[in-house]
Amino acid sequence: MTISGSVDIVLVEDSPHDAELMIRALTKHKLANNLLHLKDGEEALRHLFGKETSVPRIVFLDLKLPKVDGIEVLRKLKEDPRTRTIPVVVLTSSRENQDVAECYRLGVNSYIVKPVEFESFVKAIGELGLYWMVLNQPPTAAAVA
Amino acid sequence: MPTAIGQEDVRNYTNAILNILDDAHDERARLDDFQKAILNVLDDSNDERARYDDFQKAILNLLEDFDIEKIKIGKTNREMAREIVEREQAEVAMREAKAIADAANRELEAFSYSVAHDLRAPVRAIDGFSQMLEEDCGSRLNDEGRRVLKVIRDNTHKMGTLIDDLLDYSRLGRQDISRARVDMEALAKEVLSELLGQAAGRALSTSVGPLPPTRGDRTMLRQVWTNLLGNALKFSQGRDPARISVEGHLSNGEAVYIVRDNGAGFDMKYVHKLFGVFQRLHRQDEFEGTGVGLAIVSRVVGRHGGRVRAEGRLGEGSFFEFILPGQDASTQGGAP
Repeated sequence: MTISGSVDIVLVEDSPHDAELMIRALTKHKLANNLLHLKDGEEALRHLFGKETSVPRIVFLDLKLPKVDGIEVLRKLKEDPRTRTIPVVVLTSSRENQDVAECYRLGVNSYIVKPVEFESFVKAIGELGLYWMVLNQPPTAAAVA
Repeated sequence: MPTAIGQEDVRNYTNAILNILDDAHDERARLDDFQKAILNVLDDSNDERARYDDFQKAILNLLEDFDIEKIKIGKTNREMAREIVEREQAEVAMREAKAIADAANRELEAFSYSVAHDLRAPVRAIDGFSQMLEEDCGSRLNDEGRRVLKVIRDNTHKMGTLIDDLLDYSRLGRQDISRARVDMEALAKEVLSELLGQAAGRALSTSVGPLPPTRGDRTMLRQVWTNLLGNALKFSQGRDPARISVEGHLSNGEAVYIVRDNGAGFDMKYVHKLFGVFQRLHRQDEFEGTGVGLAIVSRVVGRHGGRVRAEGRLGEGSFFEFILPGQDASTQGGAP
């Protein structure tokens, strides 16, 4: 992924195959132009708390990540006033109630269980991308500050 | 001069002597009486003495009995002390067993968690990448190549469904049951109309009779209707028209729900296998399925304190009945 200036979507996903499917699904809906793929929780935190980082429109976050797991990334993002308003969508294979409950407790904006079937997956990602990239109105910089 | 004793004097004297004799006789009689009285008293005292001896003996006996009792009590006390120790040991053993069971449960949860994550991910990759192959290189494949690819994808879908069904099944065993009033008639109608939406174009005759409400977990009970009605639709494929009816009534305070169809039915010889996990009574090329649906039905009904029963006749249809306890009974001991 080439990053030229602003990043709309930050995808935090360690599985290269899942990431490829995800990017393909977003590409099908012409939503993958300004996408940054990060491969573990530590990298995600370093990027999102970086001084030069522009605020993404959406963070797609996997839960099972090396080094710092997704729950921890979510906690750090939602704890800090600077990053609290970034919409975070957890995209995971886990349908465990405890994970769902914990993510909502921490303030996740949406929790999606990745469908196993690729067609359903593409459809779900398309709907998600359209919702967060097109329909959802993010807060303006002034409102956040 | 001698005193002359007159006749008068003699009479007086004699009278006095007679009086004295009389008195002495009386005295003698009194003495006799007195003696008799004393003898009587002595007699009584002897009786008293005997009674006293008896009493003493009785007290000695009692003291002896008391000693025996004391020994017995001492023995009982020792036995009780031993029992207390044994009970404490049993309690420790039970706590240990519970800890082991809890650990096993946690392990099982961790296991199903990793099944959820680790098995679903590769299945998704297989499906996704075979579709990518089809999309990107489909034109370069011949018919056989495309057929093989389709087999791969069909099986991947099956595996995905299987994993999801199994996870549903395992979650139903662990999940707390919520208890709220459920309008079973509305729920059955809702599920049926959803399923009918996927069965457009089929000749179907369906009916949902008045159904008694129940108390239970709406999501879980929805799964019961989805699986039973889904089966009725699946196994009545090819019937013209396929008939599916839902009925219910109250019986002895219990709510009875029945799903009937005129589909493929089954051989009663295998009815005991029907509600087991992975048990299928039809070949894959006849009817698709993972064999988890009725196991889920049985588990949900069981967790609600109810029971499930089936009857079938090969080629003529099936009858499924599940009975949920009365509303009062089902609210007792259930999670709020």
